[in-house]
Amino acid sequence: MIEAIKNWKLHVLVLILVIIAEWIGAFSFPIGPGKIVLLPMLYALIMGIFLGPKFLKLASHKDMIDAGSLVGVTLMLLMAKYGTTVGPNIPMILRTSPALILQELGNLGTLFLGVPIAVYLGLRRETIGAAHSIAREPNVALIGDVYGLDTPEGRGVMGVYICGTVFGTIFFGLMATFTAAMGIFHPLALAMASGVGSASMMTASVGALSAMFPEIADKIQALGAASNMLSGLDGVYMSLWMALPMTEWLYRKFYKMKYGTYPSQSAVREG
Amino acid sequence: MKIKEVLAVLIIIGIITLVGNFVGANIPMIDAIPGMIFLIAISILGVICSKLIPVRIPAVAYIVTIGCIITIPGFPGSAVFNAWAQKVNFLALATPILAYAGISIGKDLGTLKKTGLRILVVSFIVFIGTYIGSTIIAQLILKLIGEI
Repeated sequence: MIEAIKNWKLHVLVLILVIIAEWIGAFSFPIGPGKIVLLPMLYALIMGIFLGPKFLKLASHKDMIDAGSLVGVTLMLLMAKYGTTVGPNIPMILRTSPALILQELGNLGTLFLGVPIAVYLGLRRETIGAAHSIAREPNVALIGDVYGLDTPEGRGVMGVYICGTVFGTIFFGLMATFTAAMGIFHPLALAMASGVGSASMMTASVGALSAMFPEIADKIQALGAASNMLSGLDGVYMSLWMALPMTEWLYRKFYKMKYGTYPSQSAVREG
Repeated sequence: MKIKEVLAVLIIIGIITLVGNFVGANIPMIDAIPGMIFLIAISILGVICSKLIPVRIPAVAYIVTIGCIITIPGFPGSAVFNAWAQKVNFLALATPILAYAGISIGKDLGTLKKTGLRILVVSFIVFIGTYIGSTIIAQLILKLIGEI
């Protein structure tokens, strides 16, 4: 990490990205009953991607590695800030705790939507890894443990993990603002749903929601952070005990529907 | 991960955030400095806890917990702590993180090409699934307990 810290070119690049992104500022336009909000963090992310050797060539391969090694530490300040947002809102969080706890079950929505579509698209055992969760680090570790990462299941979870790394933040930011703009769901419900166990996805979603509903921004951030902590705690156990068995079961059902026969058991599982 | 190195990174990010906090949220850097030092102190305290306490809990978990406890209404000094933290805009904190993340993503683009279009589609479906699933349950329960 010491090398990454001394990479002043990297820090200056980030400073420039931040100044440009913040200078452009949040951009919102009306759509349907609500409005779509685009935030500086989104511009910073996209501009960062384009600095790489494939595009603008301003960031070298070493800069990219260095940046990656620092992301974990940079998240600490945000986590501290989340803590100080949760503290003053503890009474509200306790009041809403039934919703906060039960919405964790909604994370199983990944497999109910994901398995049918993955099977429809022609994926085989990759489906299990890809659809059982949103494939963050703990889930990748779990699939690696149960099936191994050089298996179809492993390729499935790694695929979604990479897609989540590259597009997750952008996708969650846009999904939050679009869903909120539809006006069907209350922003506090959307805030709770933002906590999926990834700090950056949660931040993108919560950021968009707080820009759209500034009068309850602190509540949105507190609930998002609390829900994310819960997901971090229960994520692996829910995947292991509920999501994986349900994914296997649902996979067999939809496989039979598409191909007329049940799938043969994976060799890894038999061995 | 040495504490001195973490502190160095946090100070660099802190300075970048203070600049962004001024450009974006119009909060003068001088006003936000106590809040930034406060957040850095919480982070370092969290790292120290994760090093000293032999149970394997990541530093970020301690950091959130410490930040939470000392700002609960009634904790000595919570009002002051809260006022400091509020001078550092949450969105301003997120921008530099995503700038670093964006630069580092460049190296994953090659791997992305190999994963294929079908997995990409499934990824987006999976994200929508968890988000909408959780939202529907949260909405129902919040209505049920009369919170919204």
